[in-house]
Amino acid sequence: MLRFFILFIVILVSLFAAELTQSVQNAIVLPWTVALAKISANLIMLFDANVAAFGKILQSTTNGFAVSIEAGCNGIEAAIVLIAAMLAFPAPWKHRLIGILAGLFAVQALNIVRVISLFYLGQWNIEVFDWAHLYLWQALIMLDVLIVWLVWIRMLPPAPSGSDTPPPPPADAERQQATAS
Amino acid sequence: MTAVTTHSLGKLALRTLLWLPPCLAAWYFSAHYHTVVVGALTHLLLDLMLPGIVSALEQTGTSLEFVTTLKVYPEPGKVGLLVPEVSTLIYTYGLAFFVALMLAANAKWWKILIGAIALLPFQSWGIAFDLLVQVGIKLGPKVAIQAGLFGWHLEAIALSYQIGNLIFPSLIPVVLWVSFNRSLIENLLGSQLRHIRPSP
Repeated sequence: MLRFFILFIVILVSLFAAELTQSVQNAIVLPWTVALAKISANLIMLFDANVAAFGKILQSTTNGFAVSIEAGCNGIEAAIVLIAAMLAFPAPWKHRLIGILAGLFAVQALNIVRVISLFYLGQWNIEVFDWAHLYLWQALIMLDVLIVWLVWIRMLPPAPSGSDTPPPPPADAERQQATAS
Repeated sequence: MTAVTTHSLGKLALRTLLWLPPCLAAWYFSAHYHTVVVGALTHLLLDLMLPGIVSALEQTGTSLEFVTTLKVYPEPGKVGLLVPEVSTLIYTYGLAFFVALMLAANAKWWKILIGAIALLPFQSWGIAFDLLVQVGIKLGPKVAIQAGLFGWHLEAIALSYQIGNLIFPSLIPVVLWVSFNRSLIENLLGSQLRHIRPSP
């Protein structure tokens, strides 16, 4: 457990510090944020044509209300937490890679729901928008990260013998224990 | 078998979702009192990092105003003291998230209390670095130099602020929840591991 936490913190801080550098911002963060605005606008257009995306801004063409997708709202920090948790946990590299790809999809899918919901909440009531934006969705996205991480661990192959986690007793042993008691 | 072993991940997620709105409401309506505690701790933290810069702390609702010894010159011939303000709610909402997670896991009340106390230093971190970003970066070099902040200090402050603002408020509740509920997590994961273990 201690090894996991230390590794997790080291990877988390390293990835987060890298994210803040100008080169990573230009190469990954900004293009992804712009793509997120476009994806959100395209999804909204399936049921509401009155929306446009300009860079990282999502705007209503009817009332002019706009949301700008900033740091903390583009899902990158949540993705970094998930990647750090999966890399720090002992697992085969193949499963880590699959877990990270599937996990990033799950986190970003919910994040798109967040962006779209905030776009409409802001047009309805700005106080509710602030509440959902600053507190509720932050917690929900991290809950998503936690659940994805736990599901991923559950889908890992059994730990090999000699690892830190003792294997569960075989069914025969369980039956013998039950008989003895 | 305890009630804990009957949990599934889906139930846990659903219970957390159900507990989150009342916990957020309880946190919001008690945030004034919580701010008193976290404000006092932030004052101590700032005294350790920059001794003598903050001379007093004033609270208005859930906002903290730090009376500093730093001088500002709003008009020619006039001198004032800098009083940066920090809204604490964006740093403390993790308390509601933590309590919702713990209640969803049927955790004991004393674990919730210890966790709430353990959250305080991280909340103070966020508030302290919000203040330091204002002093060291947003208000310009004249104020930063008075506070003795320059060079690598500013880089460290920027990184610490981002961590305190974007990572700690939502992540630390989860880390504490994992630490306090290891047996629950082992039960949640162990049963699945037995399912996928190949037959001998």
